[in-house]
Amino acid sequence: MKNISMKNTFTLALRGLSRNRRRSMVTLLAIAFGYSAIVLFAGYTHNVYGGLARQSIYGEMLGHLTLSKRGMRKEGKLDPERYMLTSTEVASITKLLKDEKHIELLAPRLGLSGLISNGRASTIFIADGIEPKAVVDLRQGGLTDQERKSGMYENMKMRLDPEHSEVVSLSEGLVEMLHLSVGGQAVVLANTLTGQANALDITLGRSFNTGNAGSNDKFAFVSLALARSLLDAEGRADRLTILLDDVNRTETMRAHLQEKLRAAGFDVEIQNWQDLSDFYNQVHGMFDMIFGFIFSIVLTVVIMSVANSMGMTVVERTREIGTLRAIGLKRGGVIKLFTTESMLLTLIGCITGLLIALVVRWGINIAHISYTPPNSASAVPLLIDLDARRAMFTFVLMGVVGTLAAYMPARRAAKKDIIDALGHV
Amino acid sequence: MNIQPTPILNLRHIRRRFMLGETCIDALQSISLEIHAGEFLAVWGPSGSGKSTLMNIIGLIDTPTEGEVSFDGQDTHLLIDDALTDFRGEKIGFVFQNFNLVPVLSALENVMLPLQIQGVAEHAARERAAATLVDVGLERFRDSLPDKLSGGQRQRVAIARALVVNPRLVIADEPTANLDSENSRMVIDLMREMNRARKVTFVFTTHDPRLLEHVDRKILLRDGNIVSDEVTA
Repeated sequence: MKNISMKNTFTLALRGLSRNRRRSMVTLLAIAFGYSAIVLFAGYTHNVYGGLARQSIYGEMLGHLTLSKRGMRKEGKLDPERYMLTSTEVASITKLLKDEKHIELLAPRLGLSGLISNGRASTIFIADGIEPKAVVDLRQGGLTDQERKSGMYENMKMRLDPEHSEVVSLSEGLVEMLHLSVGGQAVVLANTLTGQANALDITLGRSFNTGNAGSNDKFAFVSLALARSLLDAEGRADRLTILLDDVNRTETMRAHLQEKLRAAGFDVEIQNWQDLSDFYNQVHGMFDMIFGFIFSIVLTVVIMSVANSMGMTVVERTREIGTLRAIGLKRGGVIKLFTTESMLLTLIGCITGLLIALVVRWGINIAHISYTPPNSASAVPLLIDLDARRAMFTFVLMGVVGTLAAYMPARRAAKKDIIDALGHV
Repeated sequence: MNIQPTPILNLRHIRRRFMLGETCIDALQSISLEIHAGEFLAVWGPSGSGKSTLMNIIGLIDTPTEGEVSFDGQDTHLLIDDALTDFRGEKIGFVFQNFNLVPVLSALENVMLPLQIQGVAEHAARERAAATLVDVGLERFRDSLPDKLSGGQRQRVAIARALVVNPRLVIADEPTANLDSENSRMVIDLMREMNRARKVTFVFTTHDPRLLEHVDRKILLRDGNIVSDEVTA
C-alpha cells in the first residue's frame, strides 16, 4: 500500500499552519509563553538548588562527605566521649585517606556548646571547631563569578586566625547581644568530656552572618585547638569533613571510602552533604512541588489550546479533507497530517518560548536584582540558569502532548464520510 | 474514437437509498450501466434526478445500498477502506464543481498533491505536475495560488490534478456549474481534448444541454432511473 511520505506530510502540515495565521499565532504564543515560563522557573530553581548546594558544602562547611563514628549523630549528643573519634583514630584515618586522589581536604571537626560572657551578660553559644587553614580550603570555590560580583554572601568571607587560636568568629547576633567589637574580649565556658567546667578567654576576630535568622544569634566558629582545649579532648574530633574535587563523585566516593574504612577495621558511617542539610532538602521539595504545579497548568493550557485550535481547523477544512480522501489520502494519512500539523505548531511554539526565555533570562541576570529568601538573614541575587535537562524534557513532553492533543480532532476528521465532507459548507 | 469493448466500469442493479428522518428516498432505483475505456460520457438531467449520487458511486466514494460495482474487473465491495482508497487514488481522477483546490498551495503544488499522497518522490512529482499543467495551458500560472486564478483557470488546475496520476477514469460532477458560458465551453473542450490525447475516460454531469454537443454518449437520468442512454459519436 502506498502512503504519503513524511516529508510531504511535513510540507502540507506547514502550509496548513499558515492557513489561519491569527489562530495559529495565538496557539503558538500560548505554547511559547507557557514553555518559557517553565524554562525560566526551572532555571531559577536550578540556580537556587546550585546555590543551596554550594552554601551547604562550602558556606556551612559541610564538605561533600562527613565521616563519624557509627551512632555519633543520634546517641553521640548524649554521650559524646563515647562516640567521638579518638586521637589515634583521627590520625589513622587521616593517614589511610591522605592519598585518595579525589579527596582535596580531610578536616577534623569538633562541635561544642556552652556559655559566652562579656563579664556583664552571658548567653548560650554553639560553636564549631575547625582548623583555620581548613576554613580557607573549604571556602574556596563556594561562589560562582556572578555571585561573587553581586557583593553579597558576606558569610563566605569568615576566616579564623591561624596564628592565634583564641581568636574566634562570632555570628552577628551574638556580637550585638554581647556588645562586642573586633578585638574585644569575652569568656567561653563549657563542660569537658569528663564533665568538668572549663573556661577560656577569647578574642573577637570578626563577625559573620550565618544566613539563617535562627542561628545568627548563637553560632560561633572557633579554632580546632581552642575547641579541643575547652573540651579537654586533645587530638580528638567528633567528625571528619571530606571535600572532594567534584560534587558528582559524592556517592561513588562515599561507597568507596565506606568499604575502604570497613576493610581497615573502622566502624564509621559516612553521610553526604544532602543527608546533613535539612534546609536544602526542604527547599528542594517545595520548589519541586511548585514546579510540578506550574508544569501541570502549562500542560493543560497547551492541551486545551491545541485541541481547540485543531478542532476548529478540522471543521474549517472539512471539504479539503473530503477532497484529499477522494483523491487517495487514507484515513491514517488524515490523522498523520493533522497530528503533524499540531506537532509542528507545538515545537515551533516551544522554540519560540525558548528564545523568549533566553532573552528574559539574560535581562534578569544583568539587572542585578536581589531578594531576601524566607528564613534568610541577607539578600541574595536573583539569577536564572539554563536547566538544559528539564528544558529538554519539557520540550519533548510538550511535543508529545501537543501531538496527542490533536489526535481526537484528527481522528474525527479521518472518520468523516467523504461525500458529507465534500458537501460541507 | 476507438472505444474498447471491455467495460472499465460495470454497475449492476444499483440502488441507493437514503433515510431522511422517517422518509426513505431511493436516489437511484435500479441502475445497470457499463462504461468503456476512452468514452467521453455525460450524465444529464434535472436537479434531484440522482446524477451526483450516480457519480459518487462511479467514483467509489459512495457504496450502493444494493447492487455491485466492478472497476477494471475488480469487485469494489470486496476492498477494505484503505485498499479502496489506494484503488481510487490510482485509477480515478476527480474534478469538483467548486474546484476544491487547496488554497495555500500553488497551482503546481495542487497538481502534485495526488502524486505526493501516493508517495511519489518530490522531484518526479514536480516534473509530472509541471508537464500536466503545460497540457492544460497553465504553465505560466504554476506558482500562482488558487485565489489569484480565474474560475476557468482553477478548473483547469483541477483537471490537471485529476489527470496527473494517469487515471483510467475522470469523474467531473457539474464541472461548469460555477463558470460562465465561455469558460464552461473551454473546460468541456479541454476535457474532450484530454480524453482524446490521453485516451482517458471522462464521465461528467451537467444540466446544461448545450454542453452535450461533443460527447460520445449521453445518459439522461430522471427520478433515479436511466431514461435514455444515447451513443452520439
